[in-house]
Amino acid sequence: MQAVEYFEVECPEMVGGEYYKKITNIVLLDHNLIRTLHKIHIYVDPGVPIFVAVGILHKTPSLIRVRDFAAVNPLEGKIMLVLSNETYLAPMLKIFWQRFGQEHVEQPDRFTVILKGVTIDARELEDVIVADPSESLYKDLIYAFKCIAPEGFRIRREFYTKEKFFFVASEDTLTGDVDALIQSKFKIMGEVMP
Amino acid sequence: MILVPVTYNGGVYRHNEIMDFIEDIGGYIVQKHILASDVVLLCFVPKDDVELLRSIAKSMGGEVVDSPLVGTEIAVVSMSLEIHHLPHPSCDIAEYLRRLGAKSNMVSLARGVGKRIAALNDEERDVINEHDLAVYLMGNFEKCIDYKMPNLRRGIEAPIVICGGPNKETLQRIINPPVDGYVGNVGRFMHRTKESEEFTKLDEIISEITRVLEKKRIGDAKDPLSVSPARLMDLIKENVPKIHQVTSPTPLTVQMAGLRVKLPYDTFASEIRNIEIEDSVKIGDVSNVTPSRMRDYILIRILPFSDTNVVV
Repeated sequence: MQAVEYFEVECPEMVGGEYYKKITNIVLLDHNLIRTLHKIHIYVDPGVPIFVAVGILHKTPSLIRVRDFAAVNPLEGKIMLVLSNETYLAPMLKIFWQRFGQEHVEQPDRFTVILKGVTIDARELEDVIVADPSESLYKDLIYAFKCIAPEGFRIRREFYTKEKFFFVASEDTLTGDVDALIQSKFKIMGEVMP
Repeated sequence: MILVPVTYNGGVYRHNEIMDFIEDIGGYIVQKHILASDVVLLCFVPKDDVELLRSIAKSMGGEVVDSPLVGTEIAVVSMSLEIHHLPHPSCDIAEYLRRLGAKSNMVSLARGVGKRIAALNDEERDVINEHDLAVYLMGNFEKCIDYKMPNLRRGIEAPIVICGGPNKETLQRIINPPVDGYVGNVGRFMHRTKESEEFTKLDEIISEITRVLEKKRIGDAKDPLSVSPARLMDLIKENVPKIHQVTSPTPLTVQMAGLRVKLPYDTFASEIRNIEIEDSVKIGDVSNVTPSRMRDYILIRILPFSDTNVVV
């Protein structure tokens, strides 16, 4: 498992900062997000009030294709797929139903799928993209920060790329100074704001 | 006759004898729980007979423990219903109070969150005031507690115990005018209380609540109630058969100076007012039977002796 290289919570109130470090750690662990983070810096100031989270992500996992979790065996007039795990079974079946029609897709048991009367080549079938883990990753990350941020901070701004993200929340309107604040927090980690 | 709150823990076998005995000595059973083969009775018994009950319970393999929270209804005030405050720590604290005999209600505020935007509406204020005590569960920041507390306590007459992230001394310093109790280092957290130091903290909350309630009891004893709330509970059970059809866990909730009856006010208020307690003294003569802000329930507030000149 890749570790978090940098994890700091900055807060003018020492006790409050310690609590928020604990909260952040627990929420990220609960949401299985800790392994996706490379660096994270959180700044909370109840005086303003504002909550800023900036971070760098590990390289996101690549696209999930059929070959990643199933063995494709071409047989006479049909293709049999033997699944090693069923995590992506539901999205795969959805794609097959749309592409080939439900009458051509059979599932005799949890780990076997048979495609009958389809014209696709086995190699081509192995390359079919089933899921993009990064899609849900960003959604999960933003949800986690909504949980971590003090409640009532409902004015939010969030931004993410494949490598970096920031999340700002306050109960007051976010002014232009926020950009400088985000930039300074990236700078503390030795990074540049995206 | 001074009634003291106690809990009986024992087996199902022959527990009816204990129940009969409590009633025979003039005590009242507030709540009865049967959990598999165990029985828990939350009751009030005359002070002079506690030792006798204890010895009888011992002979049956049960035990009697003092439970100062029995017969109290406590509001656990959470700043919102969102994941930030629920289930931890609000539910953890409410559940712990329940284990020790109190009837705890969660009161989650519609706009209790944040700093500048925090507010308390009239319904929340009235619901909190219907309780014997309110436990305010605040957040982790000193500045926020300092800023929002005046808004959240406006109009609250019930004693308040504050739990918050900063330590007790800081809470005492920032809350002005002072509240009745403080428990520091219990702010917002996002995990279940399961470590021993967390249980110690929950015990600290209980002891602070007990201290505040004891102080209130001593104050109330100077002008005693015209009738015991537990006696009213028994009378309503005898005279209003509909109460036995209420599916709520506590159809009659005993408070320190009153009773919550979980029946519709419009239909049953006059019937309850006219129940005779003793020597033509009716419930309506010694108490105010009012509509509760909680659903359509009835709230009975018992008047003190100085108002009625009777003690029944």
